[in-house]
Amino acid sequence: MLNYILRRVFGMVPVLFVITIIAFLFVHLTPGDPIRIMYGAEIDQETYQQMREREGFNDPLVVQYGRYMVNMLQGDFGMSYRTRVNVSDEIIRRFGYTFVLTVLAMFWAIVIGVGVGILSATKRNSLADRSSMIATITALSIPEFWFGLMIMQIFAVQLGWFPTSGSGTWIHLILPSVTLGLGVAATIVRFTRSSVLEVLREDYVRTARAKGQKESVVIWRHVLRNALIPVVTMSGLQFGFLIGGAVVVEQVFAWPGLGSYLIDSILGRDYPVIQALILLFSLQFLVINLLVDISYAFLNPQIRYD
Amino acid sequence: MFIRKKFGAASVALIAAFSLTAGAALAQQAVVVIEAEPTSMDPHNTTDSVSATVQGPMFEGLLRFDDTMSIVPVLATGYTYSDDATAITFELQQGVKFHDGADFNAEVVKMNLDFVRDADNGLARRSFFRFIEDVIVEDEFTVTITTGSPNSAMASYMAHTSAAMKSPRVIERKMADPDFNADRQGAVGTGPFKFVEWRDGVQTVVEAFDGYWNADNAAKVDRIVFRPVQEAATRINMLQAGEAHLVFPIPTLFGSQLENDSRVSLYTGPTTDVHYIGLNLQQDKYQDVRVRQALNFAIDKDGLIAQMLDGYGTIADSAIAPNVYGYAAQDIYEHDTAEARALLAAAGYADGFSSTLWTRNSTEFIAVAEYVAIQLRELGINVTVEAYESGTLFDMLDAGEGTDMYIGRWSPGTGEADYGLRPNFASDRVPPNFNNSGFYVNEAVDDLLNRALASSDPQEALDLYAEVQEIIYEDAPWVFLHIPESIVGSAPNLDGVYVLPSGNVHVSGITLN
Repeated sequence: MLNYILRRVFGMVPVLFVITIIAFLFVHLTPGDPIRIMYGAEIDQETYQQMREREGFNDPLVVQYGRYMVNMLQGDFGMSYRTRVNVSDEIIRRFGYTFVLTVLAMFWAIVIGVGVGILSATKRNSLADRSSMIATITALSIPEFWFGLMIMQIFAVQLGWFPTSGSGTWIHLILPSVTLGLGVAATIVRFTRSSVLEVLREDYVRTARAKGQKESVVIWRHVLRNALIPVVTMSGLQFGFLIGGAVVVEQVFAWPGLGSYLIDSILGRDYPVIQALILLFSLQFLVINLLVDISYAFLNPQIRYD
Repeated sequence: MFIRKKFGAASVALIAAFSLTAGAALAQQAVVVIEAEPTSMDPHNTTDSVSATVQGPMFEGLLRFDDTMSIVPVLATGYTYSDDATAITFELQQGVKFHDGADFNAEVVKMNLDFVRDADNGLARRSFFRFIEDVIVEDEFTVTITTGSPNSAMASYMAHTSAAMKSPRVIERKMADPDFNADRQGAVGTGPFKFVEWRDGVQTVVEAFDGYWNADNAAKVDRIVFRPVQEAATRINMLQAGEAHLVFPIPTLFGSQLENDSRVSLYTGPTTDVHYIGLNLQQDKYQDVRVRQALNFAIDKDGLIAQMLDGYGTIADSAIAPNVYGYAAQDIYEHDTAEARALLAAAGYADGFSSTLWTRNSTEFIAVAEYVAIQLRELGINVTVEAYESGTLFDMLDAGEGTDMYIGRWSPGTGEADYGLRPNFASDRVPPNFNNSGFYVNEAVDDLLNRALASSDPQEALDLYAEVQEIIYEDAPWVFLHIPESIVGSAPNLDGVYVLPSGNVHVSGITLN
């Protein structure tokens, strides 16, 4: 197991190296430069050229990439062009916000998703099953953006139960995390339902039932243990998507996480920040994938890694 | 003509007429919601209005613009021009202290202006102060600025937010240590509020400064918290939920929805932004003035304002807006398709031509571009709209190659005609030097602009500016479109704030009743 983990970790290095090249080219080849975007038409050519020189934009791309890599390997992701703060410090601070938001969103998604999914499967074709399927399709179809603004209008503006936006207390987390978790919950419902239905058809379930075991024991001991493995994989990947994809929800609720940081940085062509965030989001995916694979072993000890 | 006017130009989005009576409790915090993160706390390195708004309560200059764009003294008690308009002398307030305890005097003024003008310091506002030749300290509280050539607009430049005074200690620190981050840590001015914190994406906080020199304009709330919220619908929800006291900007789409909402006070007022379509006069098809005038006649500006701006705007009847000093109204090109057709035919373009219209990629700009394209197609002018991100668009315009038509917007931060006209129409401002991206060259315009700037007689200058605007409007190097109104929302209990037509919001006097 340890060998397997080490091999996977070392395997990430070349992948991350390629990602640094892609991220670097992506930001530098996108039209528009940070100085122009930041200062508009208000600066003259001389000052503009001077600023370009100072930021090293006039060097060949290879030189700029080399400088970026040397600094990055020393743990220095540079300074934001826009706000003049250390990128690493800012990412660490913002990661906390996004992590808390996504963990809570994932919590809602799993509790609702798995619960409703099991209920739907075990009561197949019942009213509850049909209602949950309609609700899931609706949840999947609603744009997060619209849903967020709607619950903000109802629960914050009209009822006054929650703050509309911002951060600071746990109450601030409720509306954005529900919004973020909605789509994932719907996906998990569908996934859990079909997975449970599939396992219910297996021989060992029939055997367990034939032996006269109680239905709850059959479901909890035999069905879920096997049915949840694909759900865990999917949830893990969804979690990865959430961390990188909280962009819309963070914008709507003015949540100061990595998503809103990425949007601001792309709009301002803040190269050091965009590069660092792309690398971070990629790393997250690799790590989450690894954790998902490892978690199989705990869910089903029959799975072995060579 | 469909024009919605909430109140006259003189009261320009004036939110407050009266401030809270003296002695009211101060344990108050005002929440101001802005559309973006500020970029800097250094007024000399700031060109965006969000940053200027946040810096406003902390910094003061020698002069400032009031709500009618008139120049009023702040750290200066008064100023006089030399007879030939090559020098301006300021008498300074005494007893003014910066938030860090440093004294304000003539040496400090010289230090600030010399620092921002020094190319080695690489500050974004350096070019703004190019007109200065020298700064002379006459005595402790008298300072004179001299210029190489006559310049009657100097006071307007010194009233701009970029001419704010920073603490000499901040400048000394920056000179001693080039790595010192004045953008983040340079917020030390003489204003009624002092800097507390700037947390990216969360808030910027300022609090009342005990040692403020001017009791009449002292802070009326304890703290002002600026929160960046990009999503307009969220900003409005915050206002409706009572979480924000002041919110801007509000898109026109929401304007009419909020007009009858008792939880919100809505204020609109004309800006100094002129929106236009620039034409590249190097292209054969635009060299004939009849073609340019035909394009002006072809656009239904009333319809554009009603449909694209929800009525919140007026037709641009000059190259500068009515709130700009020196403005002179012209007879607008009324929508007249027949006239446009006749002019095109006379110029040899009866069947029209093809053109490319460059625009910024924001929804509002694209919508206007599409509207224009549809109307021009009626005349056989086949317009292809191409949207670019603003930085890219500036680069393309600066390069000067391939430019055909482009949608532009210009607002003179100095509030006077020279900065409204010169960057766009003077022949020495063609790319890559500045904003004359249509390569408009007209010796008469150059001459009038120079004579107006050199004139120390205000009436003579106004006459010259009126003449140059007439020439430009007639010559039509632009298709003159509209002047939008700004919309600001506030809590009903808020007072003491005004919105400058230039887009900055003056929040230093914020009061919560």
